[in-house]
Amino acid sequence: MKPKIAFFDFTGCEGCQLDALNLDGDEILALLGAVDIVNFREVMTERKDNYDIAFIEGSITRQSEIARLQKIRERAKVLVALGACACIGGINCLKNHVPMEEALRAVYGEAAQYYDTIPARPADAVVPVDYYVRGCPPVHSELAKVIKALLVGRKPDIPNYPVCVECKMAGNICVFERGMYCLGPVTRAGCGAICVTSGRVCWGCRGLVDDPNLNSQKDILKKYGLTPDQIIEKFKIYDTCTEVIK
Amino acid sequence: MMENTVLIVDDEAIVRESIGDWLKDAGYGVATAESGEEALELIAKRDFSVMVLDIRLPGLTGLSVLKEVKAQRPWIQSIIITAYPSEETTAEAKKLGAIDYLIKPLAPDDLEQLIRETIDSMGREPTVKAVTEVMPKPAVEKVIEVGKSFVLTRDSLRLLVEGLAGEMEVVGVKSRQGKYVFDTLDSFDELCLDYDVTVMPPTKYLLPAKDTLFRFTVGYDSKVIPVVEAVPRALVGVHPYDIKAIELLDVAFLSTNTDPNYNARRQKTVIIGVDCLHPSPNSFSPSMGTRLADTGFDLLLTDIGGEFMVEIGSERGAELLSRYAEVRQPSGDEIARQKAVRDEALSRYQLSLDVPKEQLPKLLEEGYDDPYWETKSESCLSCGSCVMVCPTCFCFDVEDELALDLRGGERFRRSDGCVLVDFARVATGENFRYDRASRLRHRILRKGKYIMERYGKVGCVGCGRCVTACLADIASPLEAFNAIAESARAKEAAARLVREAKAETELYTPHLAQLVKVTSLTAAEKMFEFRFKDGSELGHRPGQFVEVSILGLGEAPISISSSPTRNGSFQLAVRNVGNVTRRLHTMKKGAYVGIRGPFGNGFPLDDLEGKDVLLIAGGIGLFPLRSLIQYILNRRESFGRVILLFGARSPAERLFVDELDAWRQRPDVEFYETVDRGDQDWKGNVGVITTLIPGITIDPKNTMAAVVGPPIMYRFVIGELKKKDLADENIILSLERRMKCGVGKCGHCQINGVYVCLEGPVFTLDRLRHLREAV
Repeated sequence: MKPKIAFFDFTGCEGCQLDALNLDGDEILALLGAVDIVNFREVMTERKDNYDIAFIEGSITRQSEIARLQKIRERAKVLVALGACACIGGINCLKNHVPMEEALRAVYGEAAQYYDTIPARPADAVVPVDYYVRGCPPVHSELAKVIKALLVGRKPDIPNYPVCVECKMAGNICVFERGMYCLGPVTRAGCGAICVTSGRVCWGCRGLVDDPNLNSQKDILKKYGLTPDQIIEKFKIYDTCTEVIK
Repeated sequence: MMENTVLIVDDEAIVRESIGDWLKDAGYGVATAESGEEALELIAKRDFSVMVLDIRLPGLTGLSVLKEVKAQRPWIQSIIITAYPSEETTAEAKKLGAIDYLIKPLAPDDLEQLIRETIDSMGREPTVKAVTEVMPKPAVEKVIEVGKSFVLTRDSLRLLVEGLAGEMEVVGVKSRQGKYVFDTLDSFDELCLDYDVTVMPPTKYLLPAKDTLFRFTVGYDSKVIPVVEAVPRALVGVHPYDIKAIELLDVAFLSTNTDPNYNARRQKTVIIGVDCLHPSPNSFSPSMGTRLADTGFDLLLTDIGGEFMVEIGSERGAELLSRYAEVRQPSGDEIARQKAVRDEALSRYQLSLDVPKEQLPKLLEEGYDDPYWETKSESCLSCGSCVMVCPTCFCFDVEDELALDLRGGERFRRSDGCVLVDFARVATGENFRYDRASRLRHRILRKGKYIMERYGKVGCVGCGRCVTACLADIASPLEAFNAIAESARAKEAAARLVREAKAETELYTPHLAQLVKVTSLTAAEKMFEFRFKDGSELGHRPGQFVEVSILGLGEAPISISSSPTRNGSFQLAVRNVGNVTRRLHTMKKGAYVGIRGPFGNGFPLDDLEGKDVLLIAGGIGLFPLRSLIQYILNRRESFGRVILLFGARSPAERLFVDELDAWRQRPDVEFYETVDRGDQDWKGNVGVITTLIPGITIDPKNTMAAVVGPPIMYRFVIGELKKKDLADENIILSLERRMKCGVGKCGHCQINGVYVCLEGPVFTLDRLRHLREAV
């Protein structure tokens, strides 16, 4: 019997689900041959509460989401965090740097009293997470890789080295050598250094490697002219800062 | 014969015109430029034999012009002229290849002769233009074969590259974002042959970052289909260090367990090398023996200025060259120029290994536990940049990729590196190189030891890419090699010191000296004359001291009052003031004491010689100064004016009264004396010694003052001497301290970090200004 896959969105832009649709046609068809998708709000209206693999998208930012996620965890055999928000908290965590009331007022103004909010957190701050498909948005080949690994019962090969490795493989000229700054040296690879390759810098959307040398990264940013505040700002974007500021 | 043209670069019109006129008269062509910028413009347009270059120019400096010219037109001989010579610029100019250095104002004959000699020594038509015009097509039939070198014009090179592009992919060095990269050439004009280093090495074309090994299908009919993907390709512009790296890969991948994928690519790859003439500042390839390549290429180019020398490295190279390009035999001149540009390039390297590379394996073995690895790895990001950009790194990981239908897929390898955290981790979770230090060490030992031992080739070719790539500045194999070598040297030096130490058994043992004469000077002071029992001389310099030893009482440091110019004995004038001196004062002729020394530096006689000397003694300061006074008077002709100032507290405390009178009488000594307080018989000056100074006139440029007296006197005397415009380095003081051992060990006499018994007791005032405890 084909495993049933469900996608659930929490607080986020749903770009990760959208990006999952960017698998090319053959790949989608092949995927549909291997699994049954039972719940995917971006794509279909019918829903079933019977699934084996749950993909969680978005971070947890309301009390009610905690209970919802716990229920999904109970039902799913495997739970996968999909995208930066679910994996590491993502840009939602920017609000954690101000009091919650202030954040509510800034977003909802007069209507703030009708809403509740809690500090944003990744899925694994609420329930155990089996696998991570990282990135903002994730690379769809990695999504496919994780699904395939689940299907054949193996651990997916997700790199535990920094973006620099793939950046060099891509033949890029280091952004530091071009007078810019980058979080690549401590950020987990797997994206093929797509941002640097397309002329940007790495903002750390895939989170840190397991054993990041943050002191050295900070020293390097300082050496290249950043102030401590600017360094924290760099790390803040995807909330790698909670670990960094410690 | 072509006229030899000289380019004169000087911002002063008068210099340009006068030199120009002399040279025109002497039959040279002359061009002038008033700035470095203008000179470079001229040089870009036409050629010159000799450049006469002012080092001080507005805007672009002379040294920058020199550097640029040496890079663009290395055959132009440069003569530097300046009105302000300094050792640094001379050395720098020589380093940049300037052949001589003349100081303005110039004598026309000197300059002309120098230029004539320079041009003669070039021994040829000096301009490129001349060479191409007068060189006939070689009459001899050229045989293009391995080992031969020819001249290839840029147009011929274009034909070669374009010809190759017709039959294979042509990869060459291109400029990108201010750096250089190997990439597919779309046209010959993209090709850069004068580059420092590329970001990634050309080895990626033999070992791509991702390389499929085989495709497979799974299930009961599972199949494995090997994949070997290789296209015919030329790599154009490979530097010798990368050629050497490819030679290492050849051994690693082809000598045993021949790698089919590597082999296929290697067989289809044409390597056209080019000499590296402007190396990266991080490169140290000469130390690794990879500056030049004599094998490993099909063709090797050297840019000799407008044209190329091409050396044939293989049959395939010979065949391609004769198929696509016109070459001609090089002239002796062109061969010499190839050597010259290579030598020039060598002088541009800034880094080198402190030990021969052959010693690295042994040194690294011994340095295995050196703290260097731990210290350096603290800032290692384990980011892999160093291994990814390395031309000799070839390690890889192997991974399976399934198709989404799960029925098949491929197994591929991708670049991996030993500094990455999981490189040596196994399924149980064990990581055999879990800490950064062991990974960093492994990488360096691979570069300097393991590869060399396994394959007999250097594991690091000194390209410097990792140094550039490492954000934490810790990747340099050179730095590691040198640090480990230094550490080994330090260990060896420490061991050798102990091993080879020979005790000076008599360091603390006094030598017996007999008292031959005692003269009373004042109520508290006497002079003692000694002679060594064994007849030896003391052998001292004026201003030194000895340790006088009386067994059972101890030792006292006493300055020597007599000059070494008075042979045989030595005199010590001593105040009766402590244990040793009190006993000394009771001693009679014939008694023995112990003497150690002489110690200390003494007065700087070489600096004093030929100068006017101003000698100032206060009280018993005359004891040490007398040795210098005697020395100067004995060699009176070697000094200018001798001005002697002496001050005592009272007439009764005047020392060496007879000698004072003798000095006063001498016509060649200007003698002044004063006492702080007179008495009824005293008819001379009254007042402290400083009152004598305003009355004398000195030439501050040509006067050295030697001052000895009590500490309080120094401050005031210095003040008066400064009013006479005497420079600090012309004022010499002798300091008193507690000199106990005399041999720089016991520490009592230290002034800040200085041992007075070794570096003193005589100091110039400028030295003392930096010693805050001194005065």
